[in-house]
Amino acid sequence: MIKIENLSLGFSGRLDLFVDKLSIEEGGIFTVIGPNGAGKTTLLNIIALFLKPDNGSIEIWGENILKIKDKLNFRRKTSFIFSQPYLFNETVHNNIALPLRLRGRHDTGTIGEMLDLFKIGHLKTNMAGTLSQGEKHRVALARAFVTRPRLVLLDEPFLSLDMRFKESLINDLRKVIRLNKITAIFVTQDQSEALALSDTMAVMMRGKILQQSSPGDIFTRPATREAADFVGVETIIEGRIFKKEDNLCFIRIKDKILEAVSVYNEGDDVFICIRPEDVVISRHTDSSSARNHFNARITNIEPWRLGYKLNLECGFNLAASVTGQSIENLNLKINEEVFVSFKATAIHVIRREPRNDTI
Amino acid sequence: MNFILEGIKKGIILLFGLNSEVLVILRLSLWVSMLATLIAVLIGVPLGSIIAIKKFPFKKIIIALINTGMGLPPVVVGLFVVLFLSRSGPFGFLQWLYTPIGMVLAQVIIATPIITGLSLAAVQSVDPRFYQQILSLGATTTQSIWVLLKEIRLSILAAVIAGFGSVISEVGAVMMVGGNIKGQTRVLTTATVLETHMGNFEIAIALGLILITMSFIVNLALTFIQQSREKQK
Repeated sequence: MIKIENLSLGFSGRLDLFVDKLSIEEGGIFTVIGPNGAGKTTLLNIIALFLKPDNGSIEIWGENILKIKDKLNFRRKTSFIFSQPYLFNETVHNNIALPLRLRGRHDTGTIGEMLDLFKIGHLKTNMAGTLSQGEKHRVALARAFVTRPRLVLLDEPFLSLDMRFKESLINDLRKVIRLNKITAIFVTQDQSEALALSDTMAVMMRGKILQQSSPGDIFTRPATREAADFVGVETIIEGRIFKKEDNLCFIRIKDKILEAVSVYNEGDDVFICIRPEDVVISRHTDSSSARNHFNARITNIEPWRLGYKLNLECGFNLAASVTGQSIENLNLKINEEVFVSFKATAIHVIRREPRNDTI
Repeated sequence: MNFILEGIKKGIILLFGLNSEVLVILRLSLWVSMLATLIAVLIGVPLGSIIAIKKFPFKKIIIALINTGMGLPPVVVGLFVVLFLSRSGPFGFLQWLYTPIGMVLAQVIIATPIITGLSLAAVQSVDPRFYQQILSLGATTTQSIWVLLKEIRLSILAAVIAGFGSVISEVGAVMMVGGNIKGQTRVLTTATVLETHMGNFEIAIALGLILITMSFIVNLALTFIQQSREKQK
């Protein structure tokens, strides 16, 4: 268990970070999500002993790391992965071998293992400067895990990667963390990354932790208005793909069935994300060609962005955005029944780890 | 006009028929300046790196002092080295005045701030997160500086080239500290000054050409090392 208490850091009279209490389970991926400037990186820098806080304690492996004299010994049990790969002007193999060399250790096969795990074996003798951005990130990850760290700190490691590379890299990363039962603290501002990797999560804003819970909870039940504004822009529901025809997936959510376009397969557990602006509200059914339509009850109406946001209950909770004009035209009120529809292509599907998953 | 052309012609002939006197001068020049550069590198590169990396009070003032040192006038260095090494000076007992060791000392004092200052600037130009990355891979302070220096070896080699260039071409300090004694402390620059004063222009031109050629060969070698590494990128 990693325990952070009363941690604070201020620059020039301003309090930039204040974490009164945060506990992180060992052997899982803990994600801190928050917008730019929330203090996420500051928190990681403190844990990595790069920054000294004004107050507080961080207990890791039964010891307050802020008090330890032997920083090197602590650092050698952890790995820090930055948003830039920061490779050395050497071959891929030498880059990955460096952490072992610094420790005076010989390679016992872990380099080869990492090359395989991150699928970069064919690049072994290439100079780091000749690699693509995606390959560089793979090398940086292989280098970070080659020493078998107990704790890894990931500071927006996929920031400069496009979606194509990101998805497979996230899968490989999850595999190596699970396989070696590593504790990971992962910092991001991206919801889909957070959903795909986290076991538990915290929302951080303006230097404070607003909420700590499961990913599903955080996205569907944000604790404060601020958190909702940052994470709660989409409807996010857990489901499972039970049938697939071409690239059309049939996803079961409670007793309802949704149709969505995605690359995942039958039996996969997924999160489905629907943006409020993709949900169409109408008074009569069959008004569109959309694949998904349901009867729904309006549970709440509140101002949102330039119009309004409707919370709807249709077997699951759904958010929709409407203009003031539509509210008037359709005469929408709380507790009234309406029809909702959205296209199969409007659903964003993210694969998730099944709950209570043990490896 | 004619005497210049004549001088260059004779100079080139002298250049190819290196007599033993010129050889002695050439060897001493190389020996003194290379040794001085080596010592300055051993002091300046680690010192510059540590100043760049560590946080400590008055850091900016120290950096300003080093930057000032990069432009130290060789005559002033020569003056102080003479004062300290003279028989009545605090280090007079070493009897280094008018010896090659004294000349090396003077050149070390000239080259060290240059190499320190340029190394410092090179290390400071690296993204601080890059240094944190090295630390987080499990490096000790010494290891981290070594890894970092290897990464910026191009800039460090540029600092070495600048340091060597400043001492091989310098005349004021070696003249004062060495005394331009024939066969003992006479180097290319001091010999060139002497021959020019005496009106032996062709010898002066020959010495000047040797100085430039030698400087070119040494820098060519350093540049080859620098650029061959670059190609591997």
